[in-house]
Amino acid sequence: MTVAQTRSRRVLVLGTAGLLARLGLATVWFLSGFAKASDPRATTVAVRAYQLLPESLVAPVAGALPYLEISLGVLLLLGFATRLAAILSASLLLVFIGGVISAAVRGLSIDCGCFGGGGQVQAGATAYTMEVLRDIGFLALAVFLVIRPDTQVSVDRFVRRRAEQTA
Amino acid sequence: MAQGNSGRKPSGKAAGGSASKTPERPKPGGKQTISRQSVAQARKSKSSNRIQFIVGGIAIVVIAAIIVIGIVMNQKETAVQAPGYGASTQSVATEANGVVTVSNPSATGTTPKTIDVYEDALCPICAEFEAQFGQQVAQAVDQGKLIVNVHMLTFLDSHSYSQNYSTRAAAALLCVAQQGGSQPGMYLTYHSALYASGTQPTEGGTSDLTDQQLADLATSKGAPASAAQCITSGQNMAAATAANTSSSASLSKATGGQVATPTVVQNGTPVQLSVNWLTTLLGQS
Repeated sequence: MTVAQTRSRRVLVLGTAGLLARLGLATVWFLSGFAKASDPRATTVAVRAYQLLPESLVAPVAGALPYLEISLGVLLLLGFATRLAAILSASLLLVFIGGVISAAVRGLSIDCGCFGGGGQVQAGATAYTMEVLRDIGFLALAVFLVIRPDTQVSVDRFVRRRAEQTA
Repeated sequence: MAQGNSGRKPSGKAAGGSASKTPERPKPGGKQTISRQSVAQARKSKSSNRIQFIVGGIAIVVIAAIIVIGIVMNQKETAVQAPGYGASTQSVATEANGVVTVSNPSATGTTPKTIDVYEDALCPICAEFEAQFGQQVAQAVDQGKLIVNVHMLTFLDSHSYSQNYSTRAAAALLCVAQQGGSQPGMYLTYHSALYASGTQPTEGGTSDLTDQQLADLATSKGAPASAAQCITSGQNMAAATAANTSSSASLSKATGGQVATPTVVQNGTPVQLSVNWLTTLLGQS
């Protein structure tokens, strides 16, 4: 009984931490996704500003990226396919971190466009270190969810319980 | 985790201090739980795998659907406005204190709205803005519905190959407004030409337009020789720099501190540049 209690308390604590991580990351994706989606011109320019993609891919990537972010936000908000959403989130964040670092290394003077906006900024107005640190913080949330995708108040848990009941 | 639990022990509930001590050690407790669960888990693993596949599949479909919907919406949002209108044919430009006002004073029957547009000749979003809305702006001005105050900023100078492209382009635009502004459509046509793909230099690029090229472009669009002369002599460089200072200040005041281009300001407030911004603005009474 006490074993079960300890275990269930652990599950509750980790599940609640997971819930917070999930909602936190969902908020990040919603904010950044909607900001990018609401200003497609800026997003196009922000993607182009990294000078990493051929021109033919700039518009498709700029068009799809905000909505990929929003869809990850939806999955995380619902707690649906949490591990998959977390893996995709972590991958996307790694791409962003790589992009910002490469911009810094190449001496570009751009805004990351992480939460909309983006493109070139005045020399000296870049904030690469902060941008990378912030993304690493988000990455930590995603990694936590990859390791522990079972969270409180999630569709995943609901589906699993239903399945267990019928099994 | 063992530390975490013992740390929480005093505040633990009904379990009772002494009883919870032994099972709190992770190893025996963990083993017990695992062995008890493993049978059930093995029984369930097949169906839970299947569920995971289904959930993952649905998730991927959701992602794909949202992206498709988004791309469709995105195409709508980035659609060129008033396509096919072409260049302005009726507008005239006047210059005062480095700001160029474009209007059609001979139009009658409408009360025009006035906007202030802030741009930098090197700014790539300004080029996107021009490509999407340039014809619609030209049309509205020609119809006498819109008066545009064009503020050319120069904060991207340091990103240009020549280190002063934004200022030189701003000065060239002032020359065209001063010398050829009365020619219908002249100023807006030259303004559009500077943003045309293939003409606008890229930031951090390995070349940009020389004064001679800026002058030649103006001439090719029909500007008078005096405009070309004004451009090559760099006559408006100081005026362009001064205008950048005053316009940056007015933009900063309107936005609450941010100087970014392109920005459209109406009645001292920035306009949200959604696809319908101009239609909405013109429809306001």
